[in-house]
Amino acid sequence: MEGKVVFTVFSRESSAGARPRYVSYEVPYRSGMTVLDGLLYIKERIDHTLAIRYSCRMGICGSCGMKVNGLPRLACFTQVSELGRSIKVEPLPNHPLVRDLVTDFSTFFAKHKSVKPWLIRKDVEEQENPTGQYLQSDAELERYIQFSYCISCGLCYSACPVVTALPEFPGPQALAWLYRFYADSRDHGGRERLEILDRATGIWRCHFAGSCSQVCPKGVDPALAIQLLRRALIRG
Amino acid sequence: MSERRLMLLHYVTGLGILVTGAVHLWVVFFTVPLDQTIWETTMLFDGHQFAIMSVYRNALLASTLWLLLVFTTFHAMNGIRVILMELIPNERVMRVAKWALIALGVFLVVYGTRTILIAYNIR
Repeated sequence: MEGKVVFTVFSRESSAGARPRYVSYEVPYRSGMTVLDGLLYIKERIDHTLAIRYSCRMGICGSCGMKVNGLPRLACFTQVSELGRSIKVEPLPNHPLVRDLVTDFSTFFAKHKSVKPWLIRKDVEEQENPTGQYLQSDAELERYIQFSYCISCGLCYSACPVVTALPEFPGPQALAWLYRFYADSRDHGGRERLEILDRATGIWRCHFAGSCSQVCPKGVDPALAIQLLRRALIRG
Repeated sequence: MSERRLMLLHYVTGLGILVTGAVHLWVVFFTVPLDQTIWETTMLFDGHQFAIMSVYRNALLASTLWLLLVFTTFHAMNGIRVILMELIPNERVMRVAKWALIALGVFLVVYGTRTILIAYNIR
């Protein structure tokens, strides 16, 4: 692929009443270029006002989530060569907009915190002053390891149709994290965690669309976590 | 009732509808002559006796029909509640809707039970 790539970027000022618009930029293509590279080229050389959030540039921090050609993706993890010569970039849906491609993650992280994403132990004293290691077998690790790969980038949350319809729904990311700790053999907060889910706007509202699992850049399967949590709830 | 129990009942009644519905349809369509099944409701008005009425006079089959009524009513009312929750995510509206659906469900079960009993008692 040679020549130029056209980036059509969503733009909206942060001031109240500002109208959203799409601005097109021509960016020279180079081999191995990511969408984030293209956006940084625009910011550095064409439009300094373009607001984007990013950090590690290698798919670890989860900061640069945005909608690229209609799908939530990490900009640093998406090769321009996969997308062709025309690339449309928009902010993540289901997150309030701050400006241009930057969204507000406050609600997302509040939901994340609400599922108590930490080990809950009965032996608080032992947890505070451990006398040894909490050993786990391979099988025990296997139960939750894939869910611990989540980087909280918010892509699954923005792809979830239930969050769109029902903003109180915790979302796939929070539920996957809840399962990650529920399934951890070192955790004692099983019942306490399940009670968080068992409400009208909780886990039962998942339609099992599966879009959360499809868009996850780390291969986590939040839809599976939700089904496993439902099974745990049914079994009491 | 907790959401867990409501949804468990939702799944159980869904399966119940499949089973009792299948029994009902099988009995109605395959155990009596077809030309006497499609006029089953007419019979109540014109006084004719059709073979289909034997189905409703059988205690076991009448009970299955009643179960189908209860399962369908619960499943439908809870289904509407879930749909409304996403269409109108408002706590006050949902409180009113919940009681309205309970009242509608009770009415449907009472009215349906009355109909089943009438058919059961016709000789």
